[in-house]
Amino acid sequence: MTADAPLAGRTAIVTGAGQGVGRGIAAALARRGARVVLAARRAETGEPAAQEIRDRGGDARCIVTDITRREDVERCVASTVEHYGGLEIMVHNAFQGGRLHRLEDVDAALWATNSRTAVWGSYYSARFAAPHLRRAGTRGRLLLITSPAGVEGSVNIPVYAPVKAAQRAIAKSLAREWGPHGITVNCVAPVAETPALAGAFAANPVLKERVEARTALGRVGDAERDVGAVAAFLASDDASYVTGQTIVCDGGSFLGL
Amino acid sequence: MGALGGRVAVITGADQPLGRGLALALGDAGAGVALVGDAGALAPLTAELESRNRRAVAVEARVGEREARERAFATAADELGGPVRIVVHAAVPAVAFERVAFEDVDDARWDAVWEGTMTAALAVLQASFTHLRGSGGRVVFVTPTVSMSGAPGLVAYAAAMEGQRLLAKSAARQWGPDGITVNCLAPAPEHVPIGVASSEVSLAPPALGGPGDAETDLGPVVVFLASDDAHFLTGETLCADGGVWMAP
Repeated sequence: MTADAPLAGRTAIVTGAGQGVGRGIAAALARRGARVVLAARRAETGEPAAQEIRDRGGDARCIVTDITRREDVERCVASTVEHYGGLEIMVHNAFQGGRLHRLEDVDAALWATNSRTAVWGSYYSARFAAPHLRRAGTRGRLLLITSPAGVEGSVNIPVYAPVKAAQRAIAKSLAREWGPHGITVNCVAPVAETPALAGAFAANPVLKERVEARTALGRVGDAERDVGAVAAFLASDDASYVTGQTIVCDGGSFLGL
Repeated sequence: MGALGGRVAVITGADQPLGRGLALALGDAGAGVALVGDAGALAPLTAELESRNRRAVAVEARVGEREARERAFATAADELGGPVRIVVHAAVPAVAFERVAFEDVDDARWDAVWEGTMTAALAVLQASFTHLRGSGGRVVFVTPTVSMSGAPGLVAYAAAMEGQRLLAKSAARQWGPDGITVNCLAPAPEHVPIGVASSEVSLAPPALGGPGDAETDLGPVVVFLASDDAHFLTGETLCADGGVWMAP
Protein backbone atom coordinates (compact mmCIF):
# COMPACT_ATOMS: atom_id res chain seq x y z
CA MET A 1 0.00 0.00 0.00
CA THR A 2 1.22 3.48 -0.90
CA ALA A 3 -0.16 6.92 -0.23
CA ASP A 4 -1.22 7.11 -3.87
CA ALA A 5 -2.77 3.68 -3.90
CA PRO A 6 -4.36 3.09 -0.50
CA LEU A 7 -6.55 0.33 -1.94
CA ALA A 8 -3.80 -1.53 -3.82
CA GLY A 9 -4.13 -5.28 -3.56
CA ARG A 10 -7.85 -5.11 -2.78
CA THR A 11 -10.76 -6.18 -4.90
CA ALA A 12 -14.06 -4.32 -5.02
CA ILE A 13 -17.45 -5.00 -6.55
CA VAL A 14 -19.63 -1.97 -7.30
CA THR A 15 -23.26 -2.64 -8.29
CA GLY A 16 -25.04 -0.26 -10.63
CA ALA A 17 -21.59 0.76 -11.90
CA GLY A 18 -22.65 1.37 -15.49
CA GLN A 19 -23.61 4.96 -14.82
CA GLY A 20 -24.02 7.70 -12.27
CA VAL A 21 -22.85 7.34 -8.70
CA GLY A 22 -21.83 3.69 -9.15
CA ARG A 23 -19.65 4.53 -12.11
CA GLY A 24 -18.04 7.35 -10.13
CA ILE A 25 -17.36 5.13 -7.14
CA ALA A 26 -15.88 2.39 -9.35
CA ALA A 27 -13.56 4.93 -10.97
CA ALA A 28 -12.52 6.42 -7.62
CA LEU A 29 -11.72 3.00 -6.12
CA ALA A 30 -9.73 2.01 -9.22
CA ARG A 31 -7.79 5.27 -9.19
CA ARG A 32 -6.69 4.41 -5.64
CA GLY A 33 -5.39 1.03 -6.69
CA ALA A 34 -8.32 -1.33 -6.21
CA ARG A 35 -9.20 -3.99 -8.76
CA VAL A 36 -12.80 -3.25 -9.58
CA VAL A 37 -15.63 -5.39 -10.85
CA LEU A 38 -18.41 -3.28 -12.32
CA ALA A 39 -21.64 -5.15 -11.75
CA ALA A 40 -24.00 -3.58 -14.27
CA ARG A 41 -27.40 -4.70 -15.47
CA ARG A 42 -26.50 -3.85 -19.04
CA ALA A 43 -23.21 -4.54 -20.81
CA GLU A 44 -23.86 -1.46 -22.98
CA THR A 45 -23.14 0.77 -19.98
CA GLY A 46 -20.96 -1.51 -17.86
CA GLU A 47 -18.38 -2.39 -20.54
CA PRO A 48 -17.57 1.22 -21.55
CA ALA A 49 -17.29 2.19 -17.87
CA ALA A 50 -14.82 -0.67 -17.28
CA GLN A 51 -12.93 0.24 -20.47
CA GLU A 52 -12.60 3.84 -19.30
CA ILE A 53 -10.94 2.64 -16.09
CA ARG A 54 -8.58 0.35 -18.02
CA ASP A 55 -7.72 3.21 -20.39
CA ARG A 56 -6.55 5.14 -17.35
CA GLY A 57 -4.33 2.26 -16.32
CA GLY A 58 -6.69 0.67 -13.83
CA ASP A 59 -7.74 -2.94 -13.43
CA ALA A 60 -11.45 -3.35 -14.11
CA ARG A 61 -13.93 -5.76 -15.62
CA CYS A 62 -17.63 -5.71 -16.15
CA ILE A 63 -19.85 -8.59 -15.02
CA VAL A 64 -23.43 -8.25 -16.20
CA THR A 65 -25.52 -8.60 -13.05
CA ASP A 66 -29.17 -8.03 -12.22
CA ILE A 67 -28.95 -7.22 -8.53
CA THR A 68 -32.55 -8.34 -7.96
CA ARG A 69 -31.66 -11.89 -9.03
CA ARG A 70 -30.10 -14.01 -6.33
CA GLU A 71 -28.26 -16.26 -8.78
CA ASP A 72 -26.81 -13.24 -10.61
CA VAL A 73 -25.30 -11.79 -7.44
CA GLU A 74 -24.01 -15.18 -6.35
CA ARG A 75 -22.38 -15.71 -9.75
CA CYS A 76 -20.90 -12.18 -9.80
CA VAL A 77 -19.24 -12.67 -6.42
CA ALA A 78 -18.01 -16.18 -7.28
CA SER A 79 -16.58 -15.04 -10.60
CA THR A 80 -14.86 -12.06 -8.95
CA VAL A 81 -13.24 -14.22 -6.31
CA GLU A 82 -12.20 -16.80 -8.89
CA HIS A 83 -10.59 -14.14 -11.07
CA TYR A 84 -8.98 -11.95 -8.42
CA GLY A 85 -8.55 -14.36 -5.52
CA GLY A 86 -10.69 -12.56 -2.98
CA LEU A 87 -13.15 -9.76 -2.25
CA GLU A 88 -12.48 -7.01 0.27
CA ILE A 89 -14.94 -4.27 -0.70
CA MET A 90 -18.60 -4.74 -1.62
CA VAL A 91 -20.48 -1.61 -2.69
CA HIS A 92 -24.22 -1.85 -3.34
CA ASN A 93 -25.37 1.18 -5.25
CA ALA A 94 -27.81 -0.11 -7.89
CA PHE A 95 -31.29 1.31 -7.67
CA GLN A 96 -34.36 1.60 -9.83
CA GLY A 97 -37.73 3.11 -9.14
CA GLY A 98 -37.53 6.85 -8.51
CA ARG A 99 -40.60 7.97 -10.45
CA LEU A 100 -43.12 10.43 -9.00
CA HIS A 101 -46.09 8.85 -7.28
CA ARG A 102 -48.82 9.25 -4.67
CA LEU A 103 -48.63 6.90 -1.71
CA GLU A 104 -52.33 6.03 -1.93
CA ASP A 105 -51.76 4.81 -5.51
CA VAL A 106 -48.68 2.67 -4.86
CA ASP A 107 -49.24 -0.81 -6.26
CA ALA A 108 -47.32 -4.04 -5.85
CA ALA A 109 -45.22 -3.44 -8.98
CA LEU A 110 -43.97 0.02 -7.97
CA TRP A 111 -43.22 -1.18 -4.47
CA ALA A 112 -41.39 -4.25 -5.80
CA THR A 113 -39.08 -2.23 -8.05
CA ASN A 114 -37.98 -0.06 -5.14
CA SER A 115 -37.79 -2.89 -2.64
CA ARG A 116 -36.04 -5.40 -4.91
CA THR A 117 -33.24 -3.11 -6.04
CA ALA A 118 -32.52 -1.25 -2.80
CA VAL A 119 -33.32 -3.75 -0.07
CA TRP A 120 -33.13 -7.20 -1.62
CA GLY A 121 -30.05 -5.98 -3.49
CA SER A 122 -28.47 -5.05 -0.15
CA TYR A 123 -29.43 -8.41 1.31
CA TYR A 124 -27.96 -10.38 -1.62
CA SER A 125 -24.83 -8.24 -1.73
CA ALA A 126 -24.21 -8.70 1.98
CA ARG A 127 -25.09 -12.36 1.92
CA PHE A 128 -22.80 -13.44 -0.90
CA ALA A 129 -19.95 -11.11 0.05
CA ALA A 130 -20.08 -12.20 3.70
CA PRO A 131 -17.70 -15.21 3.65
CA HIS A 132 -15.12 -13.26 1.64
CA LEU A 133 -15.36 -10.13 3.79
CA ARG A 134 -14.87 -12.34 6.80
CA ARG A 135 -11.71 -13.72 5.21
CA ALA A 136 -10.58 -10.14 4.53
CA GLY A 137 -10.99 -9.38 8.24
CA THR A 138 -10.10 -5.79 9.09
CA ARG A 139 -9.93 -4.95 5.38
CA GLY A 140 -13.51 -6.15 4.83
CA ARG A 141 -15.96 -3.43 3.82
CA LEU A 142 -19.62 -3.32 2.97
CA LEU A 143 -20.88 0.03 1.65
CA LEU A 144 -24.54 0.69 0.95
CA ILE A 145 -25.43 3.75 -1.09
CA THR A 146 -28.52 5.35 0.41
CA SER A 147 -30.02 8.83 0.19
CA PRO A 148 -30.83 11.83 2.36
CA ALA A 149 -34.45 10.89 1.57
CA GLY A 150 -33.90 7.80 3.71
CA VAL A 151 -33.69 10.11 6.70
CA GLU A 152 -36.00 12.95 5.69
CA GLY A 153 -38.80 11.12 3.92
CA SER A 154 -39.95 12.20 0.47
CA VAL A 155 -43.01 14.12 -0.64
CA ASN A 156 -42.59 13.32 -4.34
CA ILE A 157 -41.34 9.74 -4.29
CA PRO A 158 -42.63 8.48 -0.93
CA VAL A 159 -41.65 4.81 -1.14
CA TYR A 160 -38.07 5.77 -2.03
CA ALA A 161 -37.62 6.87 1.60
CA PRO A 162 -38.42 3.58 3.39
CA VAL A 163 -36.26 1.45 1.09
CA LYS A 164 -33.32 3.83 1.51
CA ALA A 165 -33.94 3.97 5.28
CA ALA A 166 -33.95 0.19 5.44
CA GLN A 167 -30.44 0.20 4.01
CA ARG A 168 -29.26 2.37 6.90
CA ALA A 169 -30.78 -0.01 9.40
CA ILE A 170 -29.20 -2.98 7.61
CA ALA A 171 -25.82 -1.22 7.83
CA LYS A 172 -26.20 -0.52 11.54
CA SER A 173 -27.28 -4.04 12.42
CA LEU A 174 -24.61 -5.68 10.26
CA ALA A 175 -21.99 -3.31 11.68
CA ARG A 176 -22.83 -4.67 15.12
CA GLU A 177 -23.02 -8.25 13.91
CA TRP A 178 -19.79 -8.23 11.89
CA GLY A 179 -17.77 -5.93 14.15
CA PRO A 180 -16.10 -8.89 15.90
CA HIS A 181 -14.56 -9.87 12.52
CA GLY A 182 -13.17 -6.37 11.94
CA ILE A 183 -15.51 -5.79 8.98
CA THR A 184 -17.01 -2.31 8.75
CA VAL A 185 -20.43 -1.52 7.26
CA ASN A 186 -21.35 2.04 6.33
CA CYS A 187 -23.62 4.10 4.12
CA VAL A 188 -23.03 7.06 1.85
CA ALA A 189 -26.00 9.33 1.12
CA PRO A 190 -24.99 11.31 -1.96
CA VAL A 191 -26.46 13.91 -4.24
CA ALA A 192 -24.53 13.88 -7.50
CA GLU A 193 -24.87 14.58 -11.18
CA THR A 194 -26.29 11.36 -12.59
CA PRO A 195 -28.64 10.38 -15.40
CA ALA A 196 -31.29 9.76 -12.71
CA LEU A 197 -30.92 13.25 -11.26
CA ALA A 198 -30.80 14.79 -14.74
CA GLY A 199 -34.09 13.03 -15.45
CA ALA A 200 -35.61 14.36 -12.23
CA PHE A 201 -34.44 17.89 -13.08
CA ALA A 202 -35.85 17.58 -16.60
CA ALA A 203 -39.21 16.41 -15.23
CA ASN A 204 -39.26 19.12 -12.60
CA PRO A 205 -37.19 22.19 -13.62
CA VAL A 206 -37.88 23.99 -10.34
CA LEU A 207 -36.19 21.12 -8.50
CA LYS A 208 -32.70 21.97 -9.80
CA GLU A 209 -33.02 25.54 -8.57
CA ARG A 210 -34.32 24.38 -5.21
CA VAL A 211 -31.56 21.80 -4.78
CA GLU A 212 -28.82 24.28 -5.62
CA ALA A 213 -30.34 26.99 -3.42
CA ARG A 214 -30.54 24.61 -0.47
CA THR A 215 -27.00 23.29 -0.93
CA ALA A 216 -24.37 25.08 1.17
CA LEU A 217 -21.66 24.50 -1.44
CA GLY A 218 -23.99 25.72 -4.17
CA ARG A 219 -23.50 22.89 -6.66
CA VAL A 220 -24.51 19.32 -7.32
CA GLY A 221 -21.70 16.86 -6.63
CA ASP A 222 -19.51 14.97 -9.05
CA ALA A 223 -19.98 11.21 -8.88
CA GLU A 224 -16.25 10.39 -8.92
CA ARG A 225 -14.46 13.37 -7.37
CA ASP A 226 -17.00 14.17 -4.65
CA VAL A 227 -18.88 10.97 -3.88
CA GLY A 228 -16.32 8.40 -5.04
CA ALA A 229 -13.71 10.01 -2.81
CA VAL A 230 -15.88 9.53 0.27
CA ALA A 231 -16.62 5.91 -0.65
CA ALA A 232 -12.88 5.34 -1.17
CA PHE A 233 -12.14 6.79 2.26
CA LEU A 234 -14.65 4.43 3.88
CA ALA A 235 -13.07 1.54 1.95
CA SER A 236 -9.58 2.43 3.13
CA ASP A 237 -7.63 1.59 6.29
CA ASP A 238 -8.08 5.18 7.43
CA ALA A 239 -11.75 4.41 8.11
CA SER A 240 -11.11 1.17 10.03
CA TYR A 241 -12.76 2.57 13.15
CA VAL A 242 -15.85 3.98 11.40
CA THR A 243 -18.80 1.60 11.26
CA GLY A 244 -22.58 1.69 11.23
CA GLN A 245 -22.49 5.28 9.99
CA THR A 246 -24.04 7.27 7.19
CA ILE A 247 -21.95 10.00 5.59
CA VAL A 248 -24.21 12.45 3.85
CA CYS A 249 -22.27 13.68 0.82
CA ASP A 250 -24.55 16.30 -0.68
CA GLY A 251 -22.64 19.56 -0.48
CA GLY A 252 -24.34 20.57 2.74
CA SER A 253 -28.00 20.33 1.81
CA PHE A 254 -29.50 17.94 4.35
CA LEU A 255 -28.05 18.76 7.78
CA GLY A 256 -30.41 16.70 9.88
CA LEU A 257 -28.21 13.85 11.08
CA MET B 1 -65.14 11.97 28.52
CA GLY B 2 -61.41 11.67 27.87
CA ALA B 3 -59.16 13.30 25.29
CA LEU B 4 -60.39 10.88 22.62
CA GLY B 5 -64.07 10.88 23.60
CA GLY B 6 -66.39 9.74 20.83
CA ARG B 7 -63.63 8.84 18.38
CA VAL B 8 -63.11 5.50 16.75
CA ALA B 9 -59.60 4.09 16.90
CA VAL B 10 -58.29 1.10 14.98
CA ILE B 11 -55.31 -0.69 16.48
CA THR B 12 -53.31 -3.60 15.07
CA GLY B 13 -50.99 -5.86 17.05
CA ALA B 14 -53.04 -5.67 20.25
CA ASP B 15 -52.59 -9.41 20.78
CA GLN B 16 -49.04 -8.55 21.95
CA PRO B 17 -48.40 -6.93 25.38
CA LEU B 18 -47.27 -3.62 23.84
CA GLY B 19 -50.31 -3.22 21.58
CA ARG B 20 -52.54 -4.42 24.42
CA GLY B 21 -51.32 -1.65 26.70
CA LEU B 22 -51.80 0.98 24.03
CA ALA B 23 -55.31 -0.29 23.25
CA LEU B 24 -56.30 -0.10 26.93
CA ALA B 25 -55.00 3.48 27.12
CA LEU B 26 -56.93 4.49 23.98
CA GLY B 27 -60.07 2.95 25.45
CA ASP B 28 -59.59 4.66 28.81
CA ALA B 29 -59.16 7.98 26.98
CA GLY B 30 -62.66 7.55 25.59
CA ALA B 31 -62.07 6.10 22.15
CA GLY B 32 -64.11 3.23 20.80
CA VAL B 33 -61.43 0.68 20.03
CA ALA B 34 -61.40 -1.72 17.11
CA LEU B 35 -58.81 -4.43 17.62
CA VAL B 36 -57.82 -5.63 14.17
CA GLY B 37 -56.14 -9.03 13.87
CA ASP B 38 -56.84 -12.56 15.02
CA ALA B 39 -60.23 -12.13 16.70
CA GLY B 40 -59.74 -15.27 18.81
CA ALA B 41 -56.47 -14.05 20.26
CA LEU B 42 -58.01 -10.62 20.88
CA ALA B 43 -61.08 -11.89 22.75
CA PRO B 44 -59.58 -11.51 26.29
CA LEU B 45 -58.65 -7.89 25.56
CA THR B 46 -62.10 -7.10 24.19
CA ALA B 47 -63.51 -8.54 27.41
CA GLU B 48 -61.07 -6.47 29.51
CA LEU B 49 -62.07 -3.26 27.72
CA GLU B 50 -65.77 -4.08 28.10
CA SER B 51 -65.28 -4.79 31.80
CA ARG B 52 -63.96 -1.22 32.05
CA ASN B 53 -67.13 -0.03 30.29
CA ARG B 54 -65.19 0.83 27.13
CA ARG B 55 -66.52 0.33 23.62
CA ALA B 56 -64.48 -2.34 21.90
CA VAL B 57 -64.75 -4.77 19.04
CA ALA B 58 -62.37 -7.35 17.60
CA VAL B 59 -62.24 -7.36 13.81
CA GLU B 60 -60.81 -10.36 12.01
CA ALA B 61 -58.20 -9.43 9.39
CA ARG B 62 -54.97 -11.31 8.96
CA VAL B 63 -54.16 -10.29 5.44
CA GLY B 64 -51.71 -7.51 4.61
CA GLU B 65 -53.83 -6.43 1.68
CA ARG B 66 -55.35 -3.07 1.11
CA GLU B 67 -58.88 -4.37 0.46
CA ALA B 68 -58.85 -6.53 3.58
CA ARG B 69 -57.69 -3.58 5.67
CA GLU B 70 -60.28 -1.28 4.18
CA ARG B 71 -63.01 -3.79 4.92
CA ALA B 72 -61.73 -4.13 8.48
CA PHE B 73 -61.80 -0.35 8.90
CA ALA B 74 -65.35 -0.18 7.52
CA THR B 75 -66.45 -2.90 9.94
CA ALA B 76 -64.85 -0.98 12.80
CA ALA B 77 -66.73 2.18 11.84
CA ASP B 78 -70.05 0.30 11.59
CA GLU B 79 -69.67 -1.56 14.85
CA LEU B 80 -68.48 1.42 16.85
CA GLY B 81 -70.82 3.95 15.32
CA GLY B 82 -68.56 6.54 13.74
CA PRO B 83 -65.86 7.09 11.16
CA VAL B 84 -62.37 5.85 11.98
CA ARG B 85 -60.28 8.83 13.12
CA ILE B 86 -57.26 7.14 14.72
CA VAL B 87 -55.09 4.31 13.44
CA VAL B 88 -52.36 2.77 15.60
CA HIS B 89 -50.31 0.16 13.77
CA ALA B 90 -48.27 -2.08 16.05
CA ALA B 91 -48.64 -5.44 14.30
CA VAL B 92 -45.57 -7.25 13.01
CA PRO B 93 -45.42 -10.78 11.56
CA ALA B 94 -44.42 -13.04 14.47
CA VAL B 95 -41.41 -14.38 12.54
CA ALA B 96 -39.91 -10.87 12.62
CA PHE B 97 -39.15 -11.22 16.32
CA GLU B 98 -36.90 -14.24 15.83
CA ARG B 99 -33.23 -13.48 16.31
CA VAL B 100 -31.13 -15.17 13.63
CA ALA B 101 -27.50 -14.65 12.58
CA PHE B 102 -27.44 -12.88 9.20
CA GLU B 103 -25.60 -15.76 7.53
CA ASP B 104 -28.49 -18.06 8.48
CA VAL B 105 -31.21 -15.79 7.08
CA ASP B 106 -32.68 -17.26 3.89
CA ASP B 107 -34.87 -15.67 1.24
CA ALA B 108 -38.08 -17.01 2.80
CA ARG B 109 -37.25 -15.37 6.12
CA TRP B 110 -36.18 -12.09 4.52
CA ASP B 111 -39.42 -12.07 2.55
CA ALA B 112 -41.59 -12.85 5.58
CA VAL B 113 -39.98 -10.17 7.76
CA TRP B 114 -39.15 -7.35 5.35
CA GLU B 115 -41.88 -7.72 2.72
CA GLY B 116 -44.42 -8.98 5.26
CA THR B 117 -43.97 -5.98 7.53
CA MET B 118 -43.78 -3.37 4.78
CA THR B 119 -46.68 -4.73 2.73
CA ALA B 120 -48.89 -4.67 5.82
CA ALA B 121 -47.73 -1.16 6.76
CA LEU B 122 -48.46 0.12 3.27
CA ALA B 123 -51.89 -1.56 3.31
CA VAL B 124 -52.69 0.03 6.68
CA LEU B 125 -51.59 3.45 5.41
CA GLN B 126 -53.62 3.18 2.22
CA ALA B 127 -56.72 2.07 4.12
CA SER B 128 -56.11 4.94 6.56
CA PHE B 129 -56.03 7.41 3.68
CA THR B 130 -59.41 6.21 2.45
CA HIS B 131 -61.01 6.53 5.88
CA LEU B 132 -59.18 9.46 7.50
CA ARG B 133 -58.89 11.87 4.62
CA GLY B 134 -60.13 15.36 5.46
CA SER B 135 -61.13 14.40 9.00
CA GLY B 136 -58.12 15.46 11.03
CA GLY B 137 -57.10 11.83 11.16
CA ARG B 138 -54.16 10.49 13.12
CA VAL B 139 -51.91 7.60 12.21
CA VAL B 140 -49.32 6.29 14.66
CA PHE B 141 -46.78 3.62 13.76
CA VAL B 142 -45.08 1.77 16.58
CA THR B 143 -41.38 1.45 15.75
CA PRO B 144 -39.09 0.30 18.60
CA THR B 145 -35.78 2.19 18.90
CA VAL B 146 -34.00 -0.82 17.36
CA SER B 147 -34.89 0.82 14.05
CA MET B 148 -32.37 3.53 14.92
CA SER B 149 -29.84 1.58 16.99
CA GLY B 150 -29.68 -1.56 14.90
CA ALA B 151 -29.16 -4.90 16.63
CA PRO B 152 -27.16 -8.01 15.76
CA GLY B 153 -29.28 -10.95 14.68
CA LEU B 154 -32.14 -8.65 13.75
CA VAL B 155 -31.06 -7.21 10.41
CA ALA B 156 -34.39 -7.77 8.65
CA TYR B 157 -36.47 -6.63 11.63
CA ALA B 158 -34.45 -3.42 12.08
CA ALA B 159 -34.69 -2.76 8.33
CA ALA B 160 -38.46 -3.21 8.45
CA MET B 161 -38.89 -0.96 11.50
CA GLU B 162 -36.76 1.80 9.95
CA GLY B 163 -38.60 1.27 6.66
CA GLN B 164 -41.90 1.82 8.48
CA ARG B 165 -40.53 4.88 10.23
CA LEU B 166 -39.61 6.51 6.92
CA LEU B 167 -42.81 5.36 5.25
CA ALA B 168 -44.53 7.35 8.00
CA LYS B 169 -42.40 10.43 7.23
CA SER B 170 -43.18 10.25 3.52
CA ALA B 171 -46.89 9.83 4.27
CA ALA B 172 -46.73 12.77 6.66
CA ARG B 173 -45.17 14.96 3.97
CA GLN B 174 -47.61 13.92 1.27
CA TRP B 175 -50.83 13.78 3.28
CA GLY B 176 -50.46 16.95 5.36
CA PRO B 177 -52.77 18.81 2.95
CA ASP B 178 -55.29 15.97 3.32
CA GLY B 179 -55.55 16.64 7.04
CA ILE B 180 -53.80 13.46 8.12
CA THR B 181 -50.87 13.41 10.52
CA VAL B 182 -48.55 10.42 10.68
CA ASN B 183 -46.13 9.92 13.56
CA CYS B 184 -44.11 7.17 15.17
CA LEU B 185 -43.97 6.01 18.76
CA ALA B 186 -40.59 4.45 19.55
CA PRO B 187 -40.56 2.32 22.70
CA ALA B 188 -37.54 0.60 24.22
CA PRO B 189 -36.64 -2.77 22.68
CA GLU B 190 -37.74 -4.55 25.87
CA HIS B 191 -41.36 -4.02 24.78
CA VAL B 192 -41.07 -6.48 21.90
CA PRO B 193 -40.04 -10.14 22.18
CA ILE B 194 -36.75 -9.82 20.29
CA GLY B 195 -34.42 -10.53 23.20
CA VAL B 196 -32.66 -7.17 23.11
CA ALA B 197 -32.05 -5.12 26.24
CA SER B 198 -31.41 -1.38 25.86
CA SER B 199 -28.03 -1.95 27.48
CA GLU B 200 -27.00 -4.09 24.50
CA VAL B 201 -27.27 -1.19 22.08
CA SER B 202 -26.69 1.83 24.31
CA LEU B 203 -24.07 2.65 26.92
CA ALA B 204 -26.34 5.03 28.79
CA PRO B 205 -28.78 3.59 31.30
CA PRO B 206 -32.42 4.68 30.97
CA ALA B 207 -32.72 8.09 32.61
CA LEU B 208 -36.13 7.18 34.01
CA GLY B 209 -35.04 3.82 35.35
CA GLY B 210 -36.37 1.29 32.85
CA PRO B 211 -38.41 0.63 29.72
CA GLY B 212 -41.67 1.52 31.44
CA ASP B 213 -45.11 -0.03 31.29
CA ALA B 214 -46.97 -0.30 27.99
CA GLU B 215 -50.30 0.90 29.37
CA THR B 216 -49.34 3.45 32.00
CA ASP B 217 -46.11 4.88 30.54
CA LEU B 218 -46.46 4.49 26.75
CA GLY B 219 -50.26 4.68 26.75
CA PRO B 220 -50.45 8.39 27.58
CA VAL B 221 -48.00 9.16 24.77
CA VAL B 222 -50.06 7.36 22.14
CA VAL B 223 -53.19 9.07 23.48
CA PHE B 224 -51.45 12.43 23.08
CA LEU B 225 -50.35 11.60 19.51
CA ALA B 226 -53.95 10.61 18.72
CA SER B 227 -55.45 13.73 20.31
CA ASP B 228 -56.28 17.22 19.01
CA ASP B 229 -53.35 18.58 21.02
CA ALA B 230 -50.93 16.84 18.64
CA HIS B 231 -52.46 18.48 15.55
CA PHE B 232 -49.23 20.31 14.62
CA LEU B 233 -46.94 17.30 14.92
CA THR B 234 -46.35 15.16 11.88
CA GLY B 235 -43.55 12.94 10.61
CA GLU B 236 -42.14 12.89 14.14
CA THR B 237 -40.71 9.99 16.08
CA LEU B 238 -41.39 10.19 19.81
CA CYS B 239 -38.89 8.06 21.70
CA ALA B 240 -40.84 7.06 24.77
CA ASP B 241 -38.11 4.74 26.01
CA GLY B 242 -37.42 6.14 29.45
CA GLY B 243 -34.61 8.35 28.20
CA VAL B 244 -32.14 6.01 26.50
CA TRP B 245 -31.94 6.84 22.85
CA MET B 246 -32.76 10.59 23.00
CA ALA B 247 -33.03 10.97 19.21
CA PRO B 248 -32.70 13.18 17.32
